[in-house]
Amino acid sequence: MIIPDSLNGAFALSFIDFFLSIVMISGIGFILALFPLLNKLGKIDEEKLRQGHH
Amino acid sequence: MLDQFVFFLRALKDQTGLEHFWWGNLVMIAIGATMIYLAVSKRYEPLLLVGIGFACIISNVPGSDLILPGGLFNYAYQGVALLIIPPLIFFGVGAMTDFGPMIANPKLVILGAAAHLGIFVALIGAKALGFTINEAGAIGIIGGADGPMAIFVTMKLAPHLLPQISVAAYSYMALMPLIQPPVMKLLTSRQERLIVMKQNRQVSRLERIAFPIVIGVLVNLFFPPVAPLITMLMLGNLFKEVLVVDRLAKTAANGLMNVIIIILTVAIGSTMAADTFLTVKTVEIVVLGLVAFLFGTGSGVLGAKLMNLFLKDKINPLLGSAGIASVPIAARVAHLVALQENKENYLIYHAMGPNLAGVFGTAISGGIMLALLGVK
Repeated sequence: MIIPDSLNGAFALSFIDFFLSIVMISGIGFILALFPLLNKLGKIDEEKLRQGHH
Repeated sequence: MLDQFVFFLRALKDQTGLEHFWWGNLVMIAIGATMIYLAVSKRYEPLLLVGIGFACIISNVPGSDLILPGGLFNYAYQGVALLIIPPLIFFGVGAMTDFGPMIANPKLVILGAAAHLGIFVALIGAKALGFTINEAGAIGIIGGADGPMAIFVTMKLAPHLLPQISVAAYSYMALMPLIQPPVMKLLTSRQERLIVMKQNRQVSRLERIAFPIVIGVLVNLFFPPVAPLITMLMLGNLFKEVLVVDRLAKTAANGLMNVIIIILTVAIGSTMAADTFLTVKTVEIVVLGLVAFLFGTGSGVLGAKLMNLFLKDKINPLLGSAGIASVPIAARVAHLVALQENKENYLIYHAMGPNLAGVFGTAISGGIMLALLGVK
């Protein structure tokens, strides 16, 4: 166990977890902000996909 | 002859559960009946509460073989204990969910983490009350308002607390329309609640297909402890978005999901035996769960207000409360509170962004927690 089983450990766990969660989810947000660039690759014909579904 | 008759009657009585019936069973049967009442008459999460309530009643009838090894309820519980059921729920949820609002407005994604302060307030509170750090972590995850994730993390950290934590998580999720609005109104002005959001951009099919693949890779790379849940969520969503396996997506979202809900609710209800459930610890967990929900709602709203200090186009701070993962209940609550101020202000689509991000926020928090506590 990296975090000690004490109140100080609970504070440390909470602080590190909350901080890292913000960083990680911001990273996901950043990646999503780049998603419009995918549209430069072209467009998918949805009608064609729907016609051929199994 | 009479002696023999009395002997037979006594032997028959020993075969029944009457011998072991105590007042705790009666209390739990009343709790199970109340759940069914709330589901039927108040429509509070009927899909969950009917099954949980019934299994709770049956599990508190001494002598019932269903919860013993080899009994059907026990097999249902094994599905939860072996962590088969929670990922399958996420699979169905993924097939039902449109992640478009989250992709369209990535800046709101951060609210999915901001609204999780409640997890850590409950964690510290639980530790202060004498729970072990692993138990405190499992209790804290109630604040993520994500049932399958709460079950998943609890089974890894403190499996003996599964009944209390799952019941607290699902009960508070059902009660969110009552719990959240007072906090939301307390922390926002009327002017803020009246803010109308700009319309989101259209999300292309290519982006929708890329989303589950990209997230699936990222989660398995950075958060292996919780990867089974998010991976299945993304697989379900990929089935929905590719448009070519329509019948698989429909099966995941309907038939399979219904079967899994039946197994899950029966499994949770069957763990609510009086001798393990009626303890002071249960009361503490229930109170800590409420604290987690209140703080999570508050921190989400304050997070949105903090963002407004830096944004040119202000966001409605009610969206922050939707950062709690309970999909789509939290988004619906934000929408309804905004509607009370302005009948034309439809926040639901915008609120779904932080709401869906909340699922990832809880998964990330849970994943980091498991890693820091050294649990695989």
